[in-house]
Amino acid sequence: MNHFPSQWGKPRQENVDEYNTVPLYNNMPQSHAAAGPMTRTQQPVVTGTSVIALKYKDGIMMAADNLASYGSLARFRDIERLHPVGEHTIIGASGDISDYQYIQHMLQNVMIDQHCEDDGHTLGTPHIYEYLFRVMYNRRSKFNPLWNALVVGGVHKGERFLGYVDLKGTTYQNSTIATGFGGHLAQPILRKAVEGREDTLTEEEAIKIIDDCMRVLFYRDARSINKLQRAKITAEGFEITEPYSVETEWSFAESIRGYGA
Amino acid sequence: MNSLVQKYSKSSTAHDDDVLGVHGKWDASLDLAFPTFDIPGAQNPLSFLRNVTDEASSDYKIKIQHGTTTLAFKFQGGIIVAVDSRATMGNYIGSQTVKKVIEINPYLLGTMAGGAADCSYWERELGRRCRLYELTNKERISVAAASKLLANLVLPYKGMGLSMGTMVTGWDKSGPNLYYVDSDGSRIKGDLFSVGSGSTFAYGVLDSGYRNDLTVEEALELGKRSIFHAAHRDAMSGGSVNLYHIHEEGWTYHGNHDVAALFWEYQDLKAEERAAAVGKQ
Amino acid sequence: MNFLDSPLSKPAPYVVAPIEHRFDPYEDNGGTSVAIAGEDFCVVASDTRQSNGYMINSRYAPKAYKMSSTAVLSCNGFHADGVTLKKVLEQRMKMYKYSHDKDMSVTALAQMLSNTLYQRRFFPYYAFCLLGGVDADGKGAVYCYDSVGSFERENYRTSGSASALIQPFLDNQVGRKNQQNASTAPLTLEAVLRITKDAFTSATERDIHTGDNLQIFVITRDGVEEQNFPLKKD
Repeated sequence: MNHFPSQWGKPRQENVDEYNTVPLYNNMPQSHAAAGPMTRTQQPVVTGTSVIALKYKDGIMMAADNLASYGSLARFRDIERLHPVGEHTIIGASGDISDYQYIQHMLQNVMIDQHCEDDGHTLGTPHIYEYLFRVMYNRRSKFNPLWNALVVGGVHKGERFLGYVDLKGTTYQNSTIATGFGGHLAQPILRKAVEGREDTLTEEEAIKIIDDCMRVLFYRDARSINKLQRAKITAEGFEITEPYSVETEWSFAESIRGYGA
Repeated sequence: MNSLVQKYSKSSTAHDDDVLGVHGKWDASLDLAFPTFDIPGAQNPLSFLRNVTDEASSDYKIKIQHGTTTLAFKFQGGIIVAVDSRATMGNYIGSQTVKKVIEINPYLLGTMAGGAADCSYWERELGRRCRLYELTNKERISVAAASKLLANLVLPYKGMGLSMGTMVTGWDKSGPNLYYVDSDGSRIKGDLFSVGSGSTFAYGVLDSGYRNDLTVEEALELGKRSIFHAAHRDAMSGGSVNLYHIHEEGWTYHGNHDVAALFWEYQDLKAEERAAAVGKQ
Repeated sequence: MNFLDSPLSKPAPYVVAPIEHRFDPYEDNGGTSVAIAGEDFCVVASDTRQSNGYMINSRYAPKAYKMSSTAVLSCNGFHADGVTLKKVLEQRMKMYKYSHDKDMSVTALAQMLSNTLYQRRFFPYYAFCLLGGVDADGKGAVYCYDSVGSFERENYRTSGSASALIQPFLDNQVGRKNQQNASTAPLTLEAVLRITKDAFTSATERDIHTGDNLQIFVITRDGVEEQNFPLKKD
């Protein structure tokens, strides 16, 4: 043991611990050593940017654009990042698209299993949320994360539900949620517009807030495009719009050097 | 046919290794009967663990409590065990009231230096095994055997980040016994040990006052004074002194002595001695 | 049995195919908890802010959990680890109930929590736990833990992001440390609640990770009672 008092009771460092004979772990036979370490998702590859969502009078509204980027390349411009699960739940995904597609498959399997049980129960929003939490957390515990930040929104037994799950298993519920860059740009707008008015906001007002946020994101998030989808989930079910654009205003650019003039 | 049925009998989403593999067993008693530990699935679990638990690392998040000055010595009246009570987590004093003497059973004591959790967990496990030994063999385990049991318990984890510097002491058929056991596999029999960051200070006082023919009173005082001086000069030691005496009938606890109070006590003593010396002249 | 043959001496099998790591599995979600034991009650209080760096995730994401009618657990650090730890404990408490046909005492739960934390010695839960409750004698109990299961029974303790701000205050007001001629009379529930609220309102002023709401659990022999108290939301 390292008998130098100031090192006592501290985690050992091999380079200073001259008495440390080869650690047992390094002594283990490594049959795959020649192949090098197994690699897992270390970083997202094809990615989606922000998802934003809010609670309003009748339910949940959520939006995300249709872009999947490959680094700074706007690679796929028609990717749908709002995914319905069951009748009253929508999942919005940012982060790695392939991991998101894997999650879609997984959820589909769960829903099919539940359907086959035929016991009259279907998974509600909180159940899907909890399931995703466990999946994401267990994958991070295996150092093999699903590189996503997911927004789960829905209505369950008359209650609105809006939650967040990410690659490390961090979860929270809130009346407004924005992932990725939206956390910086859209969240302040959402909070100002929504907090305290969750029960009075009408659908029209909610659409306006969402579109305002998506506009700001399109102006300032370099990984976004002006082609997005919006979903609403109410007690009656969900509705996802066709891809549309928000109105933008670029006339100011003419008077700014470097913007085009 | 059976294999075909089996293939489809399980839900496509059920992963049997999912939760159980990562979080131990659902029943705590099973885990206790045969403890196993989860290893991080990182390429190098050791560097991962070191990264998050080392105070000098930029990823230092997992603050682990560390214990510091402990001592034990043999003399004609048995064994004295004295420890301080401070636990540090980096620069923060995690606690000033740690019990660093672990009462394994009425005849055996273990001390705590290094990772607090490592010491208390493994010495508790040692206590369990000593009890099992008693039940099997109808006699108490010797200190030599107990200390070897502890050394063998932690040896498989050598180099994996455990830090435990402990003294196992007690009274058995052969009389008082004192062993030093650490997480690197050392197990040393001896008459006098001090372990921890304050050990150098404790050794200084201890060695200068140590004789084999100390009375129990004197020996307790020497142990207390040694820990006091270590607590006074070593920033990572402090709180109070816990004193134990091991004799033929097992161990006896000799109280908790606050270092702050001891300081003034020793100051008063010094003043008295000085006054006496001046009076003599 | 030869010890070296036991599973104890063998690391988990998947070290054979190591995985490159660059992914940091931990996150600091901030937050502070305080637990104070009285004569016949215990108070466990946690703020409800969940944050990540400079971002506030949620203003109401509780991190203190009622474990039984006599115990409340609060976990600071990484929220997901805290929730998981709570789930593992709940499961193990159920198994205890099935095997022994009685509810777990706080004392037993305290030791089980320590073992559960230590089980992850090499991949620790990033959770600094406080366990508060009322023991079998009806006395208030506070147990505090480090992340790998070193624990101690105390009378008062704070952990989390503002612990270094609050602990000295508790040492002085609850432990009556460094006070001269201080009363040694045990604190009443009212006094404990006052001190707790003071601790949090003051910590909220100086710690960016603490604030929004204070969730207070008062545990007595009769059960657990929950109170909420607003904190500054800036």
